[in-house]
Amino acid sequence: MTEPLPLELTHVHKRFKTGFLNLRTAVAVTDLSLQLRTNEIVGLLGPNGAGKTTTLKMVTGLIFPSAGQVRLYGEPVDRRAARVRMGFLPENPYFYDYLTAEEFLHMACGLADLPLAGRGARVTGMLKKLGIHHARALPMRKFSKGMLQRAGLAAALIHDPDLVILDEPLSGLDPIGRRDFREIILDLKRAGKTVLFSSHILPDVEDLCDRVAIIVKGRLREEGSLAELLEHGTRNTDVEVRCPHDQGEILAREFPTFERAETLSGFRLGVPVGAALQVVLRRLLELELEVLSVRPHRISLEDLFVAHAESAPGEEVAP
Amino acid sequence: MIRPVLAVVLNTYREVVRNKILYAILFYAVLLVLTGHFFADVSLNQERRILFDVGLGLISLFAVVLCLFAGTSIIYKEIEKKTIFLIVPRAISRGQFLLGKWGGLFLAMAVIITAMFLILLVQVWFLKLRPEVALLKGVILVYFEVALLLAVALFFSSFSSPVITGMLTIGFFVIGRLLPDLKQILFTKYQADAFRTVAEELLQVLPHFYLYVPSGHDFNGRTLSLTTDFVTWAYMGWAFLYTLLMCALILIIAAGLFRRRDLA
Repeated sequence: MTEPLPLELTHVHKRFKTGFLNLRTAVAVTDLSLQLRTNEIVGLLGPNGAGKTTTLKMVTGLIFPSAGQVRLYGEPVDRRAARVRMGFLPENPYFYDYLTAEEFLHMACGLADLPLAGRGARVTGMLKKLGIHHARALPMRKFSKGMLQRAGLAAALIHDPDLVILDEPLSGLDPIGRRDFREIILDLKRAGKTVLFSSHILPDVEDLCDRVAIIVKGRLREEGSLAELLEHGTRNTDVEVRCPHDQGEILAREFPTFERAETLSGFRLGVPVGAALQVVLRRLLELELEVLSVRPHRISLEDLFVAHAESAPGEEVAP
Repeated sequence: MIRPVLAVVLNTYREVVRNKILYAILFYAVLLVLTGHFFADVSLNQERRILFDVGLGLISLFAVVLCLFAGTSIIYKEIEKKTIFLIVPRAISRGQFLLGKWGGLFLAMAVIITAMFLILLVQVWFLKLRPEVALLKGVILVYFEVALLLAVALFFSSFSSPVITGMLTIGFFVIGRLLPDLKQILFTKYQADAFRTVAEELLQVLPHFYLYVPSGHDFNGRTLSLTTDFVTWAYMGWAFLYTLLMCALILIIAAGLFRRRDLA
């Protein structure tokens, strides 16, 4: 028998009642369906207010969908048993000021229903792994933002969950913190875990994720592996040639449909996808023009993200 | 399954006992309990009665004040400060969370009441008076009273703001303390009509806080007093059962209301 998917969202909608007497409705998420497979890292991308945090709150049982279903390992998320195998780090985690990191992690062990025996070693190990063991007896109100983020991740991972949900885990971290967090996320994958995280830091998403889901205005715009998403995204190949500026009409005559821009030493031609690059290069050599560089211009995740963020729902996206 | 509840109990207990404002209130409580000693000193041959009545009355009063202070905002603070985001996504149901909150608050209040009671006993010893079993029964009734009041406060705080929770909890507490008087008014002022029947039924289901302060009232034809004739252990047993059942009922309803609440 195959194991149920770690996370499955099926036609999920979320509307909030707002305004005086709750008479108005704000739509946060519309018809969102998403599946996470075992042992993959999935990035949830979207501009501010896109519905990422709302989605993660539904996934963790903090709020409930207005329609649709959220299942963790085949169980509806509102069941206690469904959340046993999940660890969650909220965005900018808030803590009990009066607790020390050690007390907080002991509490997290209790909340995860872990037996008393072995909790001490588990807490110490996690504090060391996250690099905050030196501050274990300090009240958490004295922690820096990075240390709080580390304490939050420690609590999310203390019970060795199979599914880890991280809301903006890399925000507010210094470069060393980001490197450490990235390494921990990759370690989770190596250990066979499944990770879903939201982030604005696109290079990190590109480095870490097997798959990406882009949400804009509460709707899932695009979903797939980075290779799939960026595959059909090769744009112009930029060819830079040395050529006096007063001889630009030669290029205009030879390549009338190509984009052309002046550079310091000549021109840059934008050779569109579909044009035979070899033929273009050969012709340039025949014209005795020196080719300075040939640079294929692939679209990045950022291009795709920006294009989705700026387009209307249902509009064809051309990054 | 009990471990997540115990984790919330311990955390709530820590939250209450590490709150500095609580110590300020507790300081005044101790100060006032000590004034029982003063009143006893200036009374004429009534030291025992004055000390017992004033001491226990002040313990009850401050326990109620501390309950309202700690109990009405505890859920709101969890949501407002978003600390609940670290709890609800875990292996704990919302009902267990509420039960843990109630347990932690009760534990903290029990420690505080015990501390105040010990101060009272020290005064009894200081005045060379004989400690009565009635005094123990009286303080046990304060524990019961606090348990029920905390359940009422948690019930309201599971769906409303601290201000509304505070007002409703105080309202229920006052009505609960005046239940026999209200019933008496109903019987003497109103005819046996539909309104009276509905009002009587309503009063039956309200939390019966009068149960915990029997001293000075008539009970089965005798006037109860901490210094002469107080309630029996059977009464204490019934009061315990009533408190247990009411707390369970109120917390179950609160859990039902809290279960589908969006914690945004």
